[in-house]
Amino acid sequence: MFEYREGEGGLVLRMDWYRIIFCFLMAGSVAATEATGPAEASFTKDILPILEDHCYACHGDGEQKGGLALDGFQTEKDVHHGYKIWEQIRKLVAAGEMPPEGRKKRPNGEERDLLTGWARHSLDDFYRTAPPDPGRVTVRRLNRNEYNNVVRDLLFVDFRPDNDFPADDTGYGFDNIGDVLSMSPLLMEKYLDAAEAIAQTVVEIPQKPGPGTAFQKAYFKLPLAKDTEEAAFKGFVAKFMRRAYRREIRAEEIDRMMAVSKAAVDEATSIHARVQVVIQAVLVSPHFLFRWELDGAPSNPKAIRRLNEYELASRLAFFIWSSGPDDRLLDLAAKGTLRKQLEAEVRRMLADPKAEALVRNFSGQWLQLRDLDIVRPDKNLFPAYTTELRDYMRQETEMLFADVLRGNRPLTELLTARYSFVNEPLAALYGLPNVQGKAFRKVTLEGDVRAGVLGHASVLTLTSDPNRTSPVKRGKYVLDNILGTPPPPPPPNVPELEETGEIKGTMREQMAKHSTNAVCASCHKKMDPIGFAFENFDAIGRYRTDDNGAPVDAGGQLDSGESFKNAAELRVIFATKKSDLFIRCVTEKMLTFALGRGLEYYDKRPVDKIIDRLEGNDGKSFHLVMGIVESLPFDMKRGEAAP
Amino acid sequence: MGIMNQLSRRTFLRGAGTAIALPALEAMIPGKALAAGNVKFPTRMAFVYIPNGVIQKDWNVKGEGPGYRMSRTLQPLEKHREDLLVLSGLAHEKAEANGDGAGDHARANATFLTACQARKTSGADIRLGVSVDQVAAKQLAGKTRLPSLELSSEGVRLSGRCDSGYSCAYQFNLAWKNETTPVPPESNPKAVFDRLFAGGTAKEASQERKRRMALRKSILDFAMDDAKQLEKRLGYTDKRKLGEYLESVREMERRVEAMEASPVDLPRGFSVPAGKPNDYGEHVRLMADMMALAFQTDSTRVISYLMAHDGSNRSYPVVGVKSGHHSLSHHRDNADKVESLAKIDRYHVTLFAHLVERLKSIPEGEGSLLDHSMVVYGGAIGDGNRHTHYNLPVLMAGKGNGAIKSGRHLVYPKMTPMANLFLSMLDVMGTPTDQLGDSTGRLKGLA
Repeated sequence: MFEYREGEGGLVLRMDWYRIIFCFLMAGSVAATEATGPAEASFTKDILPILEDHCYACHGDGEQKGGLALDGFQTEKDVHHGYKIWEQIRKLVAAGEMPPEGRKKRPNGEERDLLTGWARHSLDDFYRTAPPDPGRVTVRRLNRNEYNNVVRDLLFVDFRPDNDFPADDTGYGFDNIGDVLSMSPLLMEKYLDAAEAIAQTVVEIPQKPGPGTAFQKAYFKLPLAKDTEEAAFKGFVAKFMRRAYRREIRAEEIDRMMAVSKAAVDEATSIHARVQVVIQAVLVSPHFLFRWELDGAPSNPKAIRRLNEYELASRLAFFIWSSGPDDRLLDLAAKGTLRKQLEAEVRRMLADPKAEALVRNFSGQWLQLRDLDIVRPDKNLFPAYTTELRDYMRQETEMLFADVLRGNRPLTELLTARYSFVNEPLAALYGLPNVQGKAFRKVTLEGDVRAGVLGHASVLTLTSDPNRTSPVKRGKYVLDNILGTPPPPPPPNVPELEETGEIKGTMREQMAKHSTNAVCASCHKKMDPIGFAFENFDAIGRYRTDDNGAPVDAGGQLDSGESFKNAAELRVIFATKKSDLFIRCVTEKMLTFALGRGLEYYDKRPVDKIIDRLEGNDGKSFHLVMGIVESLPFDMKRGEAAP
Repeated sequence: MGIMNQLSRRTFLRGAGTAIALPALEAMIPGKALAAGNVKFPTRMAFVYIPNGVIQKDWNVKGEGPGYRMSRTLQPLEKHREDLLVLSGLAHEKAEANGDGAGDHARANATFLTACQARKTSGADIRLGVSVDQVAAKQLAGKTRLPSLELSSEGVRLSGRCDSGYSCAYQFNLAWKNETTPVPPESNPKAVFDRLFAGGTAKEASQERKRRMALRKSILDFAMDDAKQLEKRLGYTDKRKLGEYLESVREMERRVEAMEASPVDLPRGFSVPAGKPNDYGEHVRLMADMMALAFQTDSTRVISYLMAHDGSNRSYPVVGVKSGHHSLSHHRDNADKVESLAKIDRYHVTLFAHLVERLKSIPEGEGSLLDHSMVVYGGAIGDGNRHTHYNLPVLMAGKGNGAIKSGRHLVYPKMTPMANLFLSMLDVMGTPTDQLGDSTGRLKGLA
């Protein structure tokens, strides 16, 4: 994902050697703050001499420590060409990691700022003017959620392989990233087992006299007669394959499947047995397990094309439903009219109960709600916390997210909503009166103590340690997921400064230690004030006014200057002055989720475009979804050359 | 005759182009074992991973050789000291930053069995290297029903954020088939059991099994055809993904055939695990039982087990530790934290002792299953407070079919590559390789 932080000289991007992760953040304000100096600097006149002075000893004139030689960069164009390396150089220099400590001659602050500022400016310019590129999404295997949903929609059985299939690997914060969704013999074995079990369940559902099972109704004209059985079977094969492979099925594919089903069943008499074979075969076919978008020129990165409408239907369905397209989408694709009524279809899809998947899977990962499963508050300190309560916590946040998404409300309401969804146990935790029973209901909040997701017990709990709050975790959570400006990880071999329990005093007194070390302070001054703002909430999100006997002081000042008295005021700052950061953060995260790949520099413009659209529409959530669906990377694709 | 001599003998036979291949195992087993008739028992290899480093002062044993004094943390293994090698001085230099910045936990986890530097990426272009277990598994393919078994006690995956810009693939997998493909572990003991006996036990009606296997075969054929048709139409990465699929289908085909050939008998008195227990200790013990069962039935000879992923923040209420392991590990010499960590370390060792006991309790020939195994226990972080990757905590239990002279503490020069141990183990397994990760040669003195 985008990982960057603000640094003294503008933006300091955190990235790694091999992968560029671009930060588009505040492109405008960067230009403003850097207008003097770095922007006007010339590579040959101003930058090259710094490199020669400070870097060539190890990375030039024949030396190439770590495989890096810098004397190959003689013009600004060379730098743009090697943008990946330069992002890394910029980051290491800005962080003071290069040139390494201990070298006699190191650049002074001015030189350092000039080099890093110039690189940021020049690279941003390059990205902004790069030719449009939809990027390439690696073929995606269905992840566990998608597999469940697809099987449910295809065969009407509730099959949850969650505990059986190995956990899906994740990348960029999500579990639907093609690059890391790998395939293994273990998984193949699970697929075979699952297919066997599912097929058996489907044909064994008792046939009561009457209208037949959901499966039968979906695929057969009932009742079956002996003389039309073969035709009915063929009809099933065609219909089932189309839904399962999410595309047009060729006649020979149907014939082949018919042949397989016949050959595999000795007796060849029972249509049940043949149906079973077809289901089993389809459920392990690569056409089913992977979402292919086949190209005419798969190895040519310049061969950019629009998705065909079946492919578009699949992308839509997996984005909004975490499942395959339904018959209506497939029919529109067959007629070639899906794009013409895209907006209406997206509205229909969001209104469908299946869109709950977007709520759960996106918010579960973006807001890390899934992590609630592994949070274990200390039972003695927090007897009120139960797995039931935990599920209610998650439900509350999902319901607010769903409300904003489906009600087409401004995205910033996620931070400021003066209403929420609670049931009795949650209301008891919050001290809200007059809520009875386990059913959730919408409540208007008195005051703004709990406004928005940052006031939810879910988020407050998952950012705490088992026995106490963690202002660092809370601060980092906000930087990561709300402002989209993750702090860099602590430098190697310098332990994270975790708070020490035995130092007496409030958390704030304990954490003052962070400011005593310059290396730590540079990042913690961004995290800690945010984290402290939430000290009015204990480790399971209960409101409190004192900590260790001392009154809580939740006030503070952001690194960027804004002061606040408590979390409520801070959230208002996020939703107003920092709303551009928040909107960008959500946009980038949702685009990543929708595409199933990490964002690249060429995604900068599509992201900007979505944000423009949001700004023109009061930040209303539908425009985020629609903006993504209509964006270049969602709508188009290209080939890929071997590296 | 030492291992090296045995090796060169085999190499000689191969080099001479002899038509009669000497069974690898036989070639690797010293003459004494051959004479004792132990040959029919295969050598097994397992790796058990512990995260976040250890409290070194409590882990380190005193003295060298056979007379060493057991340390506080390793005390639960005292009664097995004759079956144990304590290995000091080993290092995983490739788990260091080496220019890649933060992320020591992800790197440690990734490097442990691969001895390779993980490419720093959140998703695209993951790249590591083949792991020691997979080197053996590849060469042993076909000899057992499963070439290798991967286990984990980590079920629930986080929401997708792993250590400092490293893909979670690095932090939750120990085994890597090749540079780009991790081999995911199984975390449900019941599922492990089903997997070991998926083809059905010998008890299952053979007619029914035959039918099921035949259908599986034709379905795999069908899938294979589908995949082959796709192959021509794919770009670079998609082709790789399809390659993983093809390889998985082939592996399943082999397995179906192996199961047809030799259905296994479930050892007497073995109870089938019900599922995944909530209690961590119970979970680990069940997994240990599965490991012993897999070895006992010769279902596989190679196992890796992630007892907890590096960076794990699990708490251990069972030994009175309520804070998270990872948070604690940055103890900065705070006495309470150090003590809590020592408790966790010792608890892990207690769990490992259960595995050792299991293997020891299963007789095989004149010895035990443990005698024919090499079970490595350890991690790729030495000092959790400082994220060091040298002075790693490493033990080996078992005698490797006579190739390992256990009951000693071996001290190697600081920074001796852990990969050297792997090379030596691969020799013992009869699945040698010249190089693994940053190996510089064989580890001396094991025999």
